[in-house]
Amino acid sequence: MTISTNVEASREQRNSSDQYPSRIARAASVLSGTALAALGLTRRGWTRTTLAASGGYLVYRGITGKAAPYKGAVRVAFTIDRPTEEVYSFVRDPQNWPRFLQGIEMEPGQEGSLKLSLGKPAGLDICSEAIVTDERDHEHIAWSSLPGALQHRGVIRFRRAPANRGTEISVAFEYRVPAGPVGRALGLLVGWDPEQLVRESLRHLKQLLEAGEIPTTLGQPSGARGVKGKALRVIYREREDEEIRLAGD
Amino acid sequence: MKALCWQGKNNVQVETVDDPKVLNPRDAIVRITRTAICGSDLHIYDGYIPTMEPGDILGHEFMGEVVEVGSEVKRLKVGDRVVVPFTIACGNCYYCKNQLWSLCDNSNPNAWIAEKMYGYSPSGLFGYSHMLGGYAGGQAQYARVPFAEVGPIKVPDGLSDEQVLFLSDIFPTGYMGAENCDIKSGDVIAIWGCGAVGQFAIRSAFMLGAEKVIAIDRFLERLNLARKANADVLNYNEVDDVVEELKWMTGGRGPDACIDAVGMEAHAHSVPALYDRAKQAMMLSFDRPLVLRQAIQACRKGGVVSIPGVYGGFLDKIPFGAAMNKGLTLRMGQTHMMKYMQPLLERVQKAEIDPSFVITHRLSLEEAPQAYETFRDKEQQCIKVVLDPWKEAKAA
Ligand SMILES: NC(=O)c1ccc[n+]([C@@H]2O[C@H](COP(=O)([O-])OP(=O)(O)OC[C@H]3O[C@@H](n4cnc5c(N)ncnc54)[C@H](O)[C@@H]3O)[C@@H](O)[C@H]2O)c1
Ligand SMILES: [Zn+2]
Ligand SMILES: [Zn+2]
Repeated sequence: MTISTNVEASREQRNSSDQYPSRIARAASVLSGTALAALGLTRRGWTRTTLAASGGYLVYRGITGKAAPYKGAVRVAFTIDRPTEEVYSFVRDPQNWPRFLQGIEMEPGQEGSLKLSLGKPAGLDICSEAIVTDERDHEHIAWSSLPGALQHRGVIRFRRAPANRGTEISVAFEYRVPAGPVGRALGLLVGWDPEQLVRESLRHLKQLLEAGEIPTTLGQPSGARGVKGKALRVIYREREDEEIRLAGD
Repeated sequence: MKALCWQGKNNVQVETVDDPKVLNPRDAIVRITRTAICGSDLHIYDGYIPTMEPGDILGHEFMGEVVEVGSEVKRLKVGDRVVVPFTIACGNCYYCKNQLWSLCDNSNPNAWIAEKMYGYSPSGLFGYSHMLGGYAGGQAQYARVPFAEVGPIKVPDGLSDEQVLFLSDIFPTGYMGAENCDIKSGDVIAIWGCGAVGQFAIRSAFMLGAEKVIAIDRFLERLNLARKANADVLNYNEVDDVVEELKWMTGGRGPDACIDAVGMEAHAHSVPALYDRAKQAMMLSFDRPLVLRQAIQACRKGGVVSIPGVYGGFLDKIPFGAAMNKGLTLRMGQTHMMKYMQPLLERVQKAEIDPSFVITHRLSLEEAPQAYETFRDKEQQCIKVVLDPWKEAKAA
């Protein structure tokens, strides 16, 4: 079976900003890597090494400018202990989207298209429109972005997991962020690179369907946090209303 | 409310903080009547647990009265007296359904951090670092308890707080440590560490059919408490080589199973131990796995090494060749609390055991900072500290 993510129109239009090395896309890479690396660097020992290494890669990419524009491919899979039909219908229902999407806002647009917006947590609003290019009930949904600054296409697949473990849901997609405000905004999502946004969204989906709620510490009491502790509250999702501004912003 | 907060290495303080609120539909709020300090808290106190932050409320062994429930909580009601397990579990995921409660998929809000460290995230825990959930703990006057229908167990009338408090962690932990040994009647079990976990492991090993238990520590009061449970004791400060001594005590066979109830801060003054300390001090490694090394070395061929003692990161110089070539089984993990609470409560009800035997110190929350120090240094023959968060501090 082939699943198509073809949008005829998007084929012809090539974003001109692809042509030159993008300083801003580089900044985006530095910034989103920085949060993870910063979390790592404030810690000692092996924690530091592990966290800094995973965040550090993005920083490295940013500094060396090797891979502008900012693009990537992401694969994330979760097993949800619910029947495939249930998971599929839940995902297909726009009313549920705000309940599990993390850092991405999505709503139905004109003629079956999807309107996405990113960057709100960083005070920006980056929009993208996508259409479903291929779909089979309870099996897959493929999408592709319409011409615009942010390019992405991918497939969500639903499969019965072995041994009655429910449903394997996977998302595989590619994206490309050119120069300009889009790259900048993505960078400001402090630590939430596209992979992380999708992974945490799927995790929330699993938690909602299995546990009926998304675990949280948002709003719990704590003692005096100190300066560093305050900044880290956002990373630990104890507070959402405080924004982190990283160096250079 | 008043709560004990971590403010850095060797620095805990009682602070006035907001009262906890119901945040999710399956939450309950518990007014805490008793709470305890655990050996695991000492790892935090000593600064060895990553992703602790100043202001974090400590404590994971607590019980009390339900004072508020979320909209989805049906089985518990206001006024119920409950013991709260230290692991937080959703009750519905694959792991919960398979009794692997401390591996719950859905209770850690910071699972992504744990995944970076461990590949996959274990369950959330109370008061035990952000990587493991970041949940405010129970060395406080109130606590918010997520998934309140899954964890907390109702206390039947007629049992005192002190009799049931340790169902929150150390009794099940010692029991699981022993159960993991696959004890057959006549077995000889060696247990390193005669802290509260070790004490419950000793008693559980006998309950499960062990013929002989060898308890290893250096503090006399702890060894004496082990002796009261009919354990043979071994003071590791008085012997040259623990492994040789165990061989001698077991007719040259070695113990059928070994339990490491010490964990990452094992004490010693041998050369390898100094090396571990140096590495820990340089932050090259968090763990000093001296006891684990000994346990693997001492265990008989085909035996089991059971590890309730907590480790956090990378362990150095583990004699894995010994483990492999002797065909050992290694079992470990945070305790799958909900599997053990009910059956162990029944043992308490039937008076087979009174867990309050480990308590040496009964104090107020205000006295907790001092109590951490006393417990860490094992001064005043301290074995287990229980705090009453509502008691006024004794006038100085
Ligand atoms: N797996 C779990 O779910 C779980 C739950 C609770 C506690 N724990 C862990 O269990 C361990 C013990 O907890 P505790 O409350 O009994 O702590 P504790 O500090 O009271 O006891 C530790 C004991 O180990 C002894 N010890 C130190 N070095 C030793 C050595 N080289 N050989 C023999 N004994 C040695 C100490 O003298 C002390 O008596 C800790 O690591 C704790 O984190 C694990
Ligand atoms: Zn404990
Ligand atoms: Zn679960």
